[in-house]
Parts: sequence; C-alpha cells; structure tokens
Amino acid sequence: SFIALQKSCLQLFMGKSYSLLQSFTHLIYQARLFAVAPHQKGKVQEEPVLSIQNKQAQNFDWALNKLDSSVRRTGRITRALLLRIFHDMCRTGYPSSNQALLLLRSCGSLLPEVPLCERTELAHMIWGKLQDLGAVYDASHYNALLKVYLQNEHKFSPTEFLSKMEEANVQPNRVTYQRLIAAYCNEGDIEGASKILGFMKMKELPITEAVFSSLVTGHARTGDMENAENILSVMRDAGIEPGPDTYLALLNAYAEKGDINNIKQILEKVEKMEGNFMDRDLMQVIFSLAKAGYPQYVQDIMSHMRYERGYIPDAMNLTLNLITQGLEDTAFQIFKSFPSLLSENHSESSMDYGNFFLRHCVTTDKLKQFCDELKEANMHSSPLQFTLYCALESKKADLAINLMKTMKEEGLPLRPHYCWPLLVGYQKEKNVQGTIGVLKAMHELGVEPDVETYTNYVLTNFDDIQTFRALLQENDCPFETEGLSVAELRHEAIYGTLENITELLYTDGRYCQTPPGPTEAVGYFLYNLIDSMSDSEVQAKEEHLRQYFHQLKKMNVVIPTNIYRGIHNLLDIYHVPELIKVCGYINTELGVSALEEELEKLKAEKQPIGNVLKQLIVALCAEENMQKALEVKAKYEPDMVVGGYAALINLCCRHDNVEDAMNLKEEVFRKDSSVALDTNKYLALVQVLGKHGRLEDAINILKEMKEKDIPIKDTTVTFFFHILNAAAMRGGVETVNRLHESILMLGLAKPSTNLCSPLITVHLEKDDVPAALEATIDCYKKYGTIPRLHDILCRLIEQGNTDLLQKAMDFMSQERGEMTMLYDIFFAFLNTGKYKEAKKIIETPGLRARPARLQWFAEKCIAANQMETLENMVEMTQKLFECDREQMYYYLLKLCKISNDWQKADATWTKMQEENVIPRERTLRLLADTLKNNGQEVPFDVPEIWYEDRIESATVSENNPEKKVLMLCKKSIFCSNIFNIRTVVFIISPWCSTIYYRIRSIAETHIKGFTLNDAASSLLIITQVRRDYLKDAMSTLKTVVESDMVPIPLAVTRLIQALAMKGDLESICAVEKMVENLAASIGLSRMLFVNNTVLAHIKNNNLDMAVEYIEPLFISGMQNPDSPIPSMSYVFRKVIEERLEPALEKLSAMAERLVNQFGVYKPATDLFLQYVDAGRVDDARFLLQRCGGIAEQKKILMAFIETRNLFVMKCTAEEKLLTDISCNFYFFPLVLDNDLASAKTLFEKVKAANIHTDEIFLKRLAVLLRNAGEPVPFTEPPVSVFSD
Amino acid sequence: MAATRGSSRRVFELFVSRIPWTLTTKELKDYFAQFGTVRKCMLPFDKETGFHKGLCWVGFSSEEGLHNALQKDSHILEGVKLQIRQQKPRSFRSQYADEGVADMS
Repeated sequence: SFIALQKSCLQLFMGKSYSLLQSFTHLIYQARLFAVAPHQKGKVQEEPVLSIQNKQAQNFDWALNKLDSSVRRTGRITRALLLRIFHDMCRTGYPSSNQALLLLRSCGSLLPEVPLCERTELAHMIWGKLQDLGAVYDASHYNALLKVYLQNEHKFSPTEFLSKMEEANVQPNRVTYQRLIAAYCNEGDIEGASKILGFMKMKELPITEAVFSSLVTGHARTGDMENAENILSVMRDAGIEPGPDTYLALLNAYAEKGDINNIKQILEKVEKMEGNFMDRDLMQVIFSLAKAGYPQYVQDIMSHMRYERGYIPDAMNLTLNLITQGLEDTAFQIFKSFPSLLSENHSESSMDYGNFFLRHCVTTDKLKQFCDELKEANMHSSPLQFTLYCALESKKADLAINLMKTMKEEGLPLRPHYCWPLLVGYQKEKNVQGTIGVLKAMHELGVEPDVETYTNYVLTNFDDIQTFRALLQENDCPFETEGLSVAELRHEAIYGTLENITELLYTDGRYCQTPPGPTEAVGYFLYNLIDSMSDSEVQAKEEHLRQYFHQLKKMNVVIPTNIYRGIHNLLDIYHVPELIKVCGYINTELGVSALEEELEKLKAEKQPIGNVLKQLIVALCAEENMQKALEVKAKYEPDMVVGGYAALINLCCRHDNVEDAMNLKEEVFRKDSSVALDTNKYLALVQVLGKHGRLEDAINILKEMKEKDIPIKDTTVTFFFHILNAAAMRGGVETVNRLHESILMLGLAKPSTNLCSPLITVHLEKDDVPAALEATIDCYKKYGTIPRLHDILCRLIEQGNTDLLQKAMDFMSQERGEMTMLYDIFFAFLNTGKYKEAKKIIETPGLRARPARLQWFAEKCIAANQMETLENMVEMTQKLFECDREQMYYYLLKLCKISNDWQKADATWTKMQEENVIPRERTLRLLADTLKNNGQEVPFDVPEIWYEDRIESATVSENNPEKKVLMLCKKSIFCSNIFNIRTVVFIISPWCSTIYYRIRSIAETHIKGFTLNDAASSLLIITQVRRDYLKDAMSTLKTVVESDMVPIPLAVTRLIQALAMKGDLESICAVEKMVENLAASIGLSRMLFVNNTVLAHIKNNNLDMAVEYIEPLFISGMQNPDSPIPSMSYVFRKVIEERLEPALEKLSAMAERLVNQFGVYKPATDLFLQYVDAGRVDDARFLLQRCGGIAEQKKILMAFIETRNLFVMKCTAEEKLLTDISCNFYFFPLVLDNDLASAKTLFEKVKAANIHTDEIFLKRLAVLLRNAGEPVPFTEPPVSVFSD
Repeated sequence: MAATRGSSRRVFELFVSRIPWTLTTKELKDYFAQFGTVRKCMLPFDKETGFHKGLCWVGFSSEEGLHNALQKDSHILEGVKLQIRQQKPRSFRSQYADEGVADMS
C-alpha cells in the first residue's frame, strides 16, 4: 500500500484525480487523550551525579518522566504510582503548578483500574492538599479538573464550578466553557448548555466542533434523537463540517439505546465519506454498548476494528475499564480478540497471555471460569498459579487460600513457600492471629510448613516458642513437627548472632564509617575542604595548604575554572593572598612595544633573540598587523623559529594573502623539512588555496597532512565542510569534487551527510536540480549518505517535475524504507506550502511519530521563522501515533518567543488545554517570557522566576562567582521545589548572610509561603555561628521560632556557646527566652544556659558574679533530691582549655566549699575528672586529697570512664598516680578492652605501691585471667560485688 | 568421593534465571540432579515480599554435570522455560554471601 501511496501522492499533487485518494485512509481520531513530553533522560538514578545543577534538574523532571513513561507505554498509570509521586511531591514541599496539573490530569481515564468515584475523590484530595502546600491554580487546572469530572462521569453543578473559579479570580476560557457545556449535555440539560453557550457568544469565543458534539450527546440524553441528528445540519449551516468527534457522539448516543442498525448505518456512511474511525473511537462505542446492557452487539463493532498501532494498549485499557465497571464478560471477550493471540506468536516457550486481565480480576468470582477458559484456549499455561501470585502479592489472604484449595482440587502441587508472602505481611504487622490463621490453613490444605517457613517467617513473630506451641495446639495445628524443632534451634542460633552483630555495628567505628562518596573532581574536594575550615584554621594551616597545592600541581591536577573562582573567592575572604598566588595562574604576557624594546636590547647585547622574536611575531599576529609582522620577519629572518612562521602563515591565510602564505611555508620547510604545522594552520592554507583556484596546491597540502600524520579532530571535519561548502557556493564543481575525494581518499575524514552536502549544494546553487539528484543518489551509492534530499524534493515540487520526484521517491523507499520516504515527502510538501497533500501523507495508517525527524523539521522552521509551516505541522501531527504533543507545542512556543508573537503564544496555550497536554516547566517559562516581554499578564504560576535576572546574569555571571551562586540558588529554589538542605547550605556558606537574605527575599516574594525548612534553617544558624555572624544567627533563630519551626538542638547549643565565649550575657538571655517553650521538648538542658551564663561572666572577668550565679543552684538542688544534679563539667573544661587560671581557682574553691559545707560532691568530682581528662594529674591529686569523698562517687566516675576513649585512659594509667580509687578507675578500661598484659602490669604496680585493692578490681582481674586460661593468684571475691 | 578429591573444593556453577515463582530449591535441585551431582542450589528469597527473585545458582560437583546441563537445548520445568548460563566462578560467593540463602548442599 505504501507504493500505491507514493503514486497517489503524486497524482494528488499534480491535481489529476482525487479518486485514487480513496486508497488513503483518512484517519480520523478522537483527540489523543494524553500526551506529555518524552524527555528521554535514561535511567536517572543510574547516572553518576555530575553536579548539583544536574541533580536538581533530574529531580525536577523525575515525576514527569515516571508518569510519562507509564502513560506512553500503556496509556494508563496505577494508583500506587500516582500516589507515590503525589506523596513525594508533598514531602518535598513546594509543588509547582504544572506538577499539580500533571497529577490532576492523571485522575481520570488514565486510571482504568480505579472505580470512577474513587478517581474523583483522588482528584479532590490532590487538589486540596497541593493547594495547602502552595500550588497556585490557573485556568488550565480548572479545565483539567473539568476533564477529570467528565471522564469520571462525576455529577457536579457547572454554575457552582464557575463561581468557584470566580472566587479564585481565575478567568474561564474557551476550553472551560466547552467542558461545562459537555457536563450539562451529559445530564441531558440542554437549557444549562444553552446558558453557557450564551456566555461564549457574549465573549465572542468561537463555537467549535466540540460544542456541537456535546449538543448531540445532550439531545440524545433527553431521548430526542431527531434533534441530536439535526445538530449536524445546524453545524453545516454554521459553516462547520461535522467531523469524527460529532459522529462519535452520535454513535455513542445510539449505543446507549442499543440501536445497532443506526450504528451500522453511521459507520457505513463515514466510511463512504472516505473517513474511518480509529480503533480507540470504536472502543468507546463498545464501552457504551456494554454499559447500557447490550453486550450482544459488541461483536458487530469488533468487526470494524483495524488493529492499528496502539490497539493493544488501548484494548487493555478498555478491558480494565470494563472489569472495573463489573462487566467482566465483555472484558474477556475483548481480551480474547487481541491480535497477538491470533498471530504466530505461539512459540514453544508458550507465552502466557492475560496476566493483566487476571491481575485485575482477582476480586471477582468468575475468576475460576476465566482461568479454565484461558487454559483450554492454550492462551495461558498456568492461570491459576498466576492468579494466586497476584492474590499473594496484593495480600488477599482469603482469596489466596481459596485459590490454593482450587489448585489442590485440580491436582496442582501446593508448596510451603506459597504462604510466605502472606506470612511476611503478618510478620511486619506483628499479627499473631494472622500468622496462626495461615498455618492453620496450610495444615488444612495438607501442606506442612518446612524449616524455612518457621525460621524466617513465623518464629520471629513470637517472643517465646512455648506460647507459639500453645497457640498451635489451640488451633488444632500440629506442634511437634520435625520442621518446627529444627527451626527452633536455628532461630536461637540466628537470634543470638544477630544481637552480637548489631552491637558490633553500633559500637565499632570500623563499621560505622561512611562509605567514601563518588570520586568527585579534586576541585570540589578542595572547595569543600577550604569551605569547611574557618578563617583562623585556614590561616593556621596556610603552609600546609600551600604544600598541598604544590603537590597537586606536581601531579598535574587541574581545577576547573569555575571551581577555581570559588576557591579564589573563599581564600580572598580568609585573607590569604599568598595562597591565592599559589593556587592561581600568573599572567605575565608582554605587549608589542615592550617586546620590540627587548628584542633591540638583546640584539645590541648580541644575545639570542629567537624566543623574543617569536613572541613579537605572535603578538603582532594577535594584533592582526600583517604588514609589520612580515617586515619584522624579513628583518630578522635568520633568527626566525618555526612557531613564528606558523603564526605568520596563519595570519597571511586570514588576510587572504595566499602568495606570502605559500612562500613562508616553503621557506620554513627549506629550513627544516620535517616541520609540521598544526591542523588548523594546514586547513587555513587549504581554504585559501581553494579560494584562489590553486586546486593542486590544496590537494598537496592535504597529502602533506596525511604524510605528517596531523591529528584530526571533530573541529577539523567541520573545517573541511566549510572549505568544501565555500567552494560549492563559488560554484566550482571540480574543486568541490576533487577536494572532497582527496579528503576521503586520504582518510582524513569519514564520509558524512554534512561533509557530502557540498557535492549537492554546488548543483543546487546553479539550480541544476537533476544534477543535484544524481549527485545525492551517487553519494548514497558511494558513501551511504543522502545529503540535502529535502532541498531537492522541495525544488522538484516547486518546479512540478513529477518524473524526477517519482524517481527520488522510488529511490528513497527502496533504499531507506517507506516510512522515511513518507516523512521526506511530508516535510517537502509542508515546506512548499502544499498543506493538503502533507496532511494526507501524515495521516497514512501505520505511520508513527519519529521524534528526531519531527524535531529536525521543527527546528528548521524555527530557524527560518516559518510560523505558518510549523503551525501546520503541529496541527497535522495531532493524531500521529506516539507523537509527543507537548514537544510539538514547545516548538511552536519557541518560535512565538523568537518572533515575539504573544497572541499566538496565548492561543497555543489554550489549544494545549483543549488537547489536554501538560506543559513542562520549560514550556511554561517560554510562554511566560513571551507574555511578559509584551507587557501581558501571565495567567498562571510560573515555575521559575529567575528569568527576571536572565539577561543581567548572562553578562555578569561569567566573572562573578557570587552572582553565579545566587543564580544557582534561585534555580535550586525554583526548579526543584526540593529544598536540598545540604546543597543550599553548601552553596551559601561562603557568602553566608548577605546572599542568603537575598535568596530568601527572592524566594519569599515569588513562592507563596516560602520558608526554609527546620533543618535547613538550623544548618544555616550553625554556619553563621561558624563564620562568627552571631547577629545573623540570632535573627535566623528568631525567624525559625516565630514561624513555629523547631530548630535542631545543636544549632541552639552552638549559638549559645559562641555567645558565651563573647561574654554576651544579654544575647544568651534573649536566646533563652526565644526557645523557652521549646527547650524541654527538643532536649535542651537548662544547664546549657546556666553553664554558658557562668562562662560569659568569666569571660567578662566577673568571677564573683559567676560564682554567685551558680553556687545557689547546687545548694538548692541538694534540697530537692529528686531533681537531677546539675553538671558544670562544660564550664570546667572550657576554663581549663582556655587556661583561665584565676577563674579555675575560684571555681575550685567553690567546689570544695560545696563539698565541705553542703556535702555536694558533683562539682568537685566533675572538676577532678576534667583535670584527669586534661592530663593535669597533680591538680587532680591535690583535689582528691582535699576532698577524699570524690573517690566514693562511683556512679559519676564510671559514667565518665565509659564515655572516654579507652586508649587515652590506658596511657594515663601507665604513668599516672595510683591511688585507692584510681587503680580501679584506670583498671576498668583495660578489662573492657581485654588487655590482659596491661592489666597484669598494673596489678603488679598496685601491689608494689602497697595500695589497697578493692573487690571490684580483684573480681574483674580474676575474670580476665580466667577467660585467658591463666591461674588467679589471689582469693577471688564472691560474685555479689558485681551487682552493686 | 576419593576419586574427585583433587577438585572437590571447586564447584561448577550454573546460573539459572526466569524461574517461576511456584518453584523452589527442592524442585530445581531434583531437576538438575539428572545432569550430575548437585552440590549447591541457591535460590535467594526476598524477605520483604516472601517471593524469590527468579534467579538461582546451581553448583555441580563435577565439570561434567555442568556440561551436561549446558548442552541441553532447553530446560523446561513445570511448563516454563528456564534460562541458563555458566556462572563465572568469581562472583558466586561475594555476590550472594550475605543474602541468607538456603544452602542445600
């Protein structure tokens, strides 16, 4: 039929006869239900994350791609997928308006497996939730909701709907009214429809076919078929020819009445009118028939199916829809008609059909019957097993058990693991009854659980096996089986081991290490490294870093410029100019005059001038001063080096000075024949020689390139093309052919369409189309490429040269296939304005979208500003199978933007709504840009608002990293809606507050209800503290608290500590007040404020105040024994660290006073421990001597030991004091660490020092020795001491 | 097994995929035993779902067993065609060592 088609095309084109066109099937489609952009990105998650931007872009498109691929593959999505995307969107916080649109749009017929009312509920739930999250709705959202209502047959009041829109200040548009009319008509409410029609007329909106189709339905639903039919003539009177939509409405109307005769008549009539319904349209009729209770006529409609592309997914959706509506029998009938079942696909591997059918059927009682039938028809090898699988998967226990019963009856084997999926579910829910129920059912089915069943899925659910056995007994299940006993043993073993492993994992640092992240560029590492250091750290480690930079340099590590700039900026902030020098490049190029002076000087001093001479020549070349450069060369010829010649040759070529260029080349080769120029200089020579007709010389240069093995890059090939193309434009057929041939013969480039196109161009330039066609066919034979075919076809069409056109098409379809040929001729007709012919071509049955080809033509139109052509293409491809509509509209909007045609852009947007196309964010941006540029209001929420700065940024961002970062942040805010905490804090930290506030203000003005989330704010506070921007940190915290967010405790702690070190009592108070109500709930200890207040006093040199403040706390604490004793270890530690000796003295005196006067040991013990920790052993000893009771504070001491690094403790134990308590105290870690050798040494020392050893000490040593199998050389104390 | 002591530590492994969910280690082991002594049969189950993953590693104690299995055109078990290929020895343990699979040797 394709061959016939070509011929008919030609006849059509020549205007001979339309009769042949009847062989064209005029495809009439119901508007494609859904189309979103394909945006083939591959598997996002598998790609290594290259940069933050990339990642955000990926997140941004993720939902769209996910939904899209499902819809494109199958024409439906599952509720689970939709909900997952919805929840993800909610979690990330800021749904953009088109993400909202995408979700809403998906709540209609794309969910064939979900009952109608549930779909609408879903839509309402999504609508409300996203609105709460700040999604802004415009007309497109309301229209999408209307469409969902219509698809779900949801009853609602159109007037209320309109007033809701009015309340929300959203203007209804043409599509809104059309859908409202449809809603009225579905209810048979002609009056209501007329009212809306009145609005449309008032607003002078065009009345389209869609409106009339609705009216057909409307009249039919009132039972008035006569008037329904009459609508068609009303349409004609209005100048609109009834199209497929109208006839479909009529068909559905008759279907609802079960009037098969009229249906047949209409079908016949439409066929006669050289039209045809798509399979998808007929499926609607089937659905109407089945639903209205006339399944007996379904077969009649089936006979009209053409099984075109896309039949199977559409029919699957019909089947699913029918099942959802409880019409399983018709569903099964449709399913059995699938063409793949009838065709050759029955191979020995016996493909199973109908899985989707069975899966959705699992609720009905006809399941068994369907399984039998499938099995009998040899369509499915194991339908029962598969159904069981589905039941298990969806955790339908009763159904699963029933199915197993059936299977048993059928003599199919039942195995213990069939129950595992059910048991897994109960295991997760800790549902003991459920588990027992399954076991009971298994027992009844005669399947005894095996060891694996018990071990992995049952026993884990019970605390002890006895209870389990008892339960089994109660439920008449066997409880003394071999399987159970073995499992019991195994269970214990596994359980024990797991404990140990878990502990190990938690306590042993070796297992806790975070895995090394993906090897990012060294630059990022460096940036992060430097960023994570504070000013003082960088300054302190300057020498270190300097060496590191040197080392990197030695290793030839190159840092990308943009990151270098970031590092540069950081270093700048840290005031380390020396480091910047090491890190950066030093540019010390001299100017022409300086070089001339230098040259003269060297010459006068009789020193070698070669190098300076070369620099001078290069500098002159850079100034394009050919005359002077040649003079300099002539003057110092003996000292010229190759580099100088090369630059000079290139300069001559640029100045079209072919003579000098060749002379110079010969000159340098006389000096050294082995010299080779670089690629571009050779190419420049070839170019200029070609231009001056010195073909042989040019070919010789090419040969030389080959001989000297000059490297060929991609750019080289492009250069070849330009050389050839320039020659073609000059019309030199021989030049083009010979050069082209030489390039390919010498193997300098591989033949490509681009490289070959000058061979054709040269003929087209002379308007010799036959020669051009010959040349392109010749190209195909020689090189397998078909360059410039489109131009040739266009010329032939314009010239009306049918014979050659026929020849070209024959050639194409023979060599490249009919599909390619059809696209070629389609584009050629479009391009020459022969739209009628183009339309016939693109409507060829079986033709499918070829995105790459469509893109090629669209971009061609955009480049050439061919609006009409592009519009026609977009319109014509509406029903093209698998055509990405969003992409097509994107092309159109792109051109609207370029030609600044906002009216067209606006109309395009309305059309997109009518066609139910979800715009991607880039498309919305384009549209918004176009409208804004023309001072129009943007009637929707724009996903990214950074376009405001686009022009500004394009010029500035290159050399202004701060600006760049700002842009990046904006992008991260607007594109992703996912406020990636780490990213943003990472990005903003170097510029910290100023930039952060700018970003926030931008975000706040543009995103409704924008705030940083809790974690991000907290991180910001920490960063601000680190950078010593305490005021900013305070105000960030204030904002956090005021907006009812909860800061991370660490953020508050850091801030308070920093304030204390500054002695800023007032701010500490202020912060304390701010978090007053939060402190307890987020676990901020009151001592945080107390201790830091003490420290602040100390920092202010107000020691008395410090003591006066803290001392009463301990005394009053004593009176209330229930309250925990406050700890001021932090204060001691800080004071010791900072070597604030006077303060330490005061505090020490206070601690002793508390011991002596009040018996409060906590501060003294804490101080003692801090001394030990700091290695101030003498101080510790003196304190201990003065306050012996410290040794009795075992709880505090032990708690301390357990948190300390054992290694540190061991070291101190070796050499430090040994007293009554401290030997035990030091000894404990050794025991914990199982370090027997050290423990024995310590014991010897203790004995030698004649120190009293307490029972715990001895007991522990005894255990250690015994474990090591060594004798215990002392009387082991009784066990009871341990329980102390 | 004295005769094969030299190679007794080596296991000749077959990788089986597209295993229907209804089958378990026992059926696979019984089936592949016709080609030689089956030393190992590992069919990892997903503890989250209770279904296995459709993949199995069958280890023969001799190279002959492995070859016999590989030579057969198609392996159909309970009406379903299994995919088999030789498993490169390296990744056997490392890949599935921690899966907690039943080792039926």
